[in-house]
Amino acid sequence: MERTPIIQVKNLYKIYRVGETKVRALNGVDFTLYKGEFCAIVGTSGSGKSTLLNMLAGLEKPTKGEIQIAGRHIENLSEKELVTFRREKVGFIFQSYNLLNTMNAIENVALPLSFRGMGRKERLARAKKYMELVGVGGQAKHMPNQMSGGQQQRVGIARALAVNPQIIFADEPTGNLDSKTTMEVLKLMQKIVREQKQTLVMVTHDNNLAAYADRRIRIIDGKIVSIEEGAREVLGGEDQEQREES
Amino acid sequence: MKFRDLLIMSINNLRRRKLRTVLTVLGVVIGTASIVVMVSLGIGLNELTVEQIASYGSLTTIEVYSESRWGFSSSDSKTEPNYITDDVIKQLKRLPHVKGVSPVLSVNVLIKQGVYQAYANMKGVSEEFLKEIPIGEGTLPSSRDKELTMVLGNMLPTQFSNSKTGQGYWDSGKLPDVDLMNKPLYVIFDMDAYYSSRYPSEGGSAVKPPKKYMIPAAALVEGGVDNWNSYSYDVYVEVGLLEEQLKRIFKKNPIPGQPTNKKGKALSYLVYDSAQVFVDDMEHVTAVQAEITNLGYQASSNMEWLEQSKKQSQMVQAVLGGIGAVSLFVAAIGIANTMMMSIYERTKEIGVMKVLGCDMRNIRDMFLLESGFIGFMGGVAGILLSLLVSMVINRFAGGQALTGMAGDLSRIPLWLNLAALGFAIFVGMAAGFLPATRAMKLSPLAAIRNE
Repeated sequence: MERTPIIQVKNLYKIYRVGETKVRALNGVDFTLYKGEFCAIVGTSGSGKSTLLNMLAGLEKPTKGEIQIAGRHIENLSEKELVTFRREKVGFIFQSYNLLNTMNAIENVALPLSFRGMGRKERLARAKKYMELVGVGGQAKHMPNQMSGGQQQRVGIARALAVNPQIIFADEPTGNLDSKTTMEVLKLMQKIVREQKQTLVMVTHDNNLAAYADRRIRIIDGKIVSIEEGAREVLGGEDQEQREES
Repeated sequence: MKFRDLLIMSINNLRRRKLRTVLTVLGVVIGTASIVVMVSLGIGLNELTVEQIASYGSLTTIEVYSESRWGFSSSDSKTEPNYITDDVIKQLKRLPHVKGVSPVLSVNVLIKQGVYQAYANMKGVSEEFLKEIPIGEGTLPSSRDKELTMVLGNMLPTQFSNSKTGQGYWDSGKLPDVDLMNKPLYVIFDMDAYYSSRYPSEGGSAVKPPKKYMIPAAALVEGGVDNWNSYSYDVYVEVGLLEEQLKRIFKKNPIPGQPTNKKGKALSYLVYDSAQVFVDDMEHVTAVQAEITNLGYQASSNMEWLEQSKKQSQMVQAVLGGIGAVSLFVAAIGIANTMMMSIYERTKEIGVMKVLGCDMRNIRDMFLLESGFIGFMGGVAGILLSLLVSMVINRFAGGQALTGMAGDLSRIPLWLNLAALGFAIFVGMAAGFLPATRAMKLSPLAAIRNE
């Protein structure tokens, strides 16, 4: 099967200036990711993995190098163009969920659609569909502070999916969850990548979690040290899914 | 993002911090109300002045005099005296913006009814003039009438005194028992003869008292004996009929009060005391007046007075409005402060929205809408408050008490309400502009980082 490259990174540098000294957060990074892949970027804290994710998502500008996403260079886009780029192509899953507390779950899922100017009825219908897909269809009217961490993260995943993005970025998506919920969320993400043919880029410091990704990019001190392929299946996945739905 | 979605988000944001929103709105309420009340006082004062001046006589009339009539220019005997005659009336009529001109011919007369008598000034004027008089009862005389009829001032009854006791209204405080409309009135025109018959000069032969003429009343000026206006004390008749009447009475003799030539003989034409010029619009009064002065006549109108007092009340209005504006300015600072606080609180939320692809413009608009909405709510409530305050002012401190003029002191026209509302919204948005731009420029990364 022909694989379409969706992210191409060439010779990427990010250098921060801290007082007189220069800190090389990224020190010459090259890699290519393909459509429909579940990729994990693994590294300890301070390795530059979050910086890499931020640059892929257009939240930060590289000092040097090229980033091509879906055939488009984003390293030189203006802030306004980057906002449009994120709105049209990118979904986001945050470590601390970042749901807006003033809105209930379904409105949170529909929020990115409203930025596209979609009508209320249409976007709520679409949000409902994705909430059911991630297993929180019953919590549509709940406010974020009435839900558990796992439920909130599922809503967060639904929000990322609702815009039907080309790539989903997840920054430590299970960082605030207990180990059981972590497995559930991880399984959900794996399922979505396979069923929805989505591309997911996940940043984590946990080798264990990264093992479930199709590909692992290991970063130490701003440099890629290895790229591994092959994914581990989530254990007892079927049981957990049934328990969740009952 | 659709405007409706933006609006809903903004309103929801305001609703979640109710107390703070209410307090900020309260500032705008007080600011708006103080501006509206202050300006309404200014407007009220201005309009009261205009009304008062208008009550002294029409604002579109100019009174024209000639200096020669009262003998001021007699020292300069070379020039012909420029009396106001029929020719002058015709000349004035040809001036632009002049709607009509009425001559005014005054004679002093004595009016009698039963034992009561009153000295009065009878003014012969044209029909145009008569139409200006507000009539309470009866109908106006016309130039087509065959007989002389009178329009009597509403305060004329107070002028009557009992000819036997000499007691009048001002002595006894009791209104004389005269009925101007329904009982016949007798008028003596030849006052010289009247005086000489009453108080014969020593050694002079007794003079026969002059003839009384019964002149019917055609109408009464509007108002009771306490409502003064510029027509209240005088008697008005049609000028043509008055001339005929005077000619009949005095025949070849000079009419008393009319100027004479150098030899002391009566002039071949009638000289009017003054002329009343009616201008088509208040705007043109000043220009027409200047032109009449250029022709060599004295002219006066209420307009000069009005313009002066208008300037004064405009100044008062500006000062009052300025005082009100200060409190709205303070409210604007309050709005800016509230919006700034709100941005610090919502830094993370703004960041998330930006990461999720919310347009920077939308974020700015959302904040502008919020502050504009604070202005709008404050404006509406402020207008309601100002209506209430204005009602209280008018009730307890009416124009009568403060300025001696009847009428409301605080007046809020519709345009003032709308302008105040618009201004409140504008102030809200202006105060929110800086915070809104700041929110727009927040870096999404910094915003989502703060955990």
